[in-house]
Amino acid sequence: MADTVLEVRNLKVAFPCSGGVIRAVEGIDLDIHRGECAALVGESGCGKSVSALAIMKLLNTPPAVCRADKLQLDDLDLTHLPDRQMERIRGKHMAMIFQDAMTALNPVMTVGKQIDEIYLRHSRLSRREARQRTIKALELVGVPEARSRANSYPHQLSGGMRQRVLIALAFACVPKLIIADEPTTALDVTIQAQVLDVLKNMQQVHGVSALLIAHDLSVVANMADTVYVMYSGKIVERAAMQELFVEPLHPYTHGLLASVPRISDDRQPFVQIPDAVPHPMRKPTGCYFHPRCPRSSDQCQQRMPRLESLDHEREVRCWHPLRQPHEVRS
Amino acid sequence: MKRSYVIKRIVYAVFIFFVVLTLNFFIPRIGVQDPAERYYPPQGGMSTIEYEIIKQFTREQYGFDVSTFQQYVRYLQGLLRLDLGTSLRSGSPKVTTLIAQRLPWTLVLSVSTLVISLVIGLLCGTLAAWKRGRWQDTLLLNASTISVALPSFFIALMLSFYLGFRLELFPAYTNPNMVAQFDWGWGAIRMVFTNAALPIMSMSLGGIIGYSQITRNSVIAVTNEDYVITARAKGLPQATVLYKHVLRNALLPLATSIGMNIGGLIGGAIIIEQVFNWQGMGTLFLEANSTKDYPLMMGIMLFLSAFAILANLVTELLYVILDPRVTVGDKR
Repeated sequence: MADTVLEVRNLKVAFPCSGGVIRAVEGIDLDIHRGECAALVGESGCGKSVSALAIMKLLNTPPAVCRADKLQLDDLDLTHLPDRQMERIRGKHMAMIFQDAMTALNPVMTVGKQIDEIYLRHSRLSRREARQRTIKALELVGVPEARSRANSYPHQLSGGMRQRVLIALAFACVPKLIIADEPTTALDVTIQAQVLDVLKNMQQVHGVSALLIAHDLSVVANMADTVYVMYSGKIVERAAMQELFVEPLHPYTHGLLASVPRISDDRQPFVQIPDAVPHPMRKPTGCYFHPRCPRSSDQCQQRMPRLESLDHEREVRCWHPLRQPHEVRS
Repeated sequence: MKRSYVIKRIVYAVFIFFVVLTLNFFIPRIGVQDPAERYYPPQGGMSTIEYEIIKQFTREQYGFDVSTFQQYVRYLQGLLRLDLGTSLRSGSPKVTTLIAQRLPWTLVLSVSTLVISLVIGLLCGTLAAWKRGRWQDTLLLNASTISVALPSFFIALMLSFYLGFRLELFPAYTNPNMVAQFDWGWGAIRMVFTNAALPIMSMSLGGIIGYSQITRNSVIAVTNEDYVITARAKGLPQATVLYKHVLRNALLPLATSIGMNIGGLIGGAIIIEQVFNWQGMGTLFLEANSTKDYPLMMGIMLFLSAFAILANLVTELLYVILDPRVTVGDKR
């Protein structure tokens, strides 16, 4: 799969503030192929959402400072694209689904109008035609009685319906890339599954590439092809979804997987990774994970390991990965 | 759901108005002495019978010949005929006539002030929010601190002195013949507005800064909302985001503030009108107060309250259109 839709090289985001600089994202690389769904996984505060906003160029600069060596969307080079032209690309070629549909929709505008806007902006349609497309888009994501629902205000819809509206909004122009920032976090578990199905279905029907951001590995398991594990602003592991679950290489990934409660063995206590993510202004020396890592050594305290590729499709940033690069898998 | 909200609001407004007019009737009566005693204190040289006749006559004239409750009923009957009673001034003019004479002049000041403060306030507030933390924003912050510290009459006096007497740009106080000479001609209208310039300026300053502050704060609050990021993620141009998504929501708190201020529109600014000798409602109320003209005072008070209640009612009903969530909150 050489056909890359999104190519990010060395993306950095920092927030200068009183008392120092918060380095939220410290040079991440992402490659998303056509039709692929990549997941960006990590604890809260590790820089997932900021990365997403930075790729969409939605961060306010200032206060944020964004740098990237390369930011390529299909055949469009976004690296140094001015804001004006970025506006034409957002919504049309790349779209975003937000976490909380209640707050992500304008409360004083009907949901129909909010979707109309995107058609009116990116295609030469009359209001009437735009509304027809809107109704179709709503039907596609499984909103019943779409014609009348289009005239509802966000507060008149249920959480699941609102999230469907956001999905319809994102897929409206069939973009090249969808970034879904924790699309199901604000929903009940039963609704979560439904919404994920809708999202997965839409992604596959339209052949759209997606970047799914999640802290919940179970969400990722159903959708993603590739997983990027992020810790404290850096990618610590990249692997195909299956391989990651079968054999995590970074101690952090291992901890994340171990901490997922399993129904089968109820006698085992919950496993958890000790402590919390370091404060972004007081990151430890060496490997950022070493204070919480069971395998840490002196080397880990002094030097940050590089992201090293093991096989052609796996990368890990660790001095002591769970499998050494030279070991041959049986 | 919407209709029930509207009916509820109207019933509520009528109820409030009834409470206000009742209080308005009874509170002055706590303090008022018998007008007969007040105007004709016992004095020598008059027989008791003559004295009693005069007193009885006075009571009848001012409506004090019956019990307080009957007076209240009479008052209500008068109100139904839109009669606010008779002033104690010489010539016994109707209170409504006096108010009708002064109201337009107050409206000239207050409506211009509202429009000017709103337009400039909105622009400055949005600008300050847009340029948050830069010099435009700092300027607004400092200006508002200063304006809070400066009383309006001081600003009025300063404007009158510098722009009026020193630079002679505008009349330093109102032309006393303005009202008498007014004939709806262009010249007369121009005269009114040159005379009104300084009072409007002194009154607008506070309004501009007040509305700027409200606008700035609510625009900043709304700019950080998720749906604004959604709007930008849709690729909408900045101006559209600002106009359709940010301002539309940011104006909600402003609408409340405007509604409250409209209630005060017809009251006139007592002090500003006094400084410039502007013959509006403010001066009328002051005159009524200093001559202890109770019917006039009561009439003005009732008129102002009725208008304030009406203004609030309109704002509340307007809110239904502005914010679709309102009826839901009411239902809970």
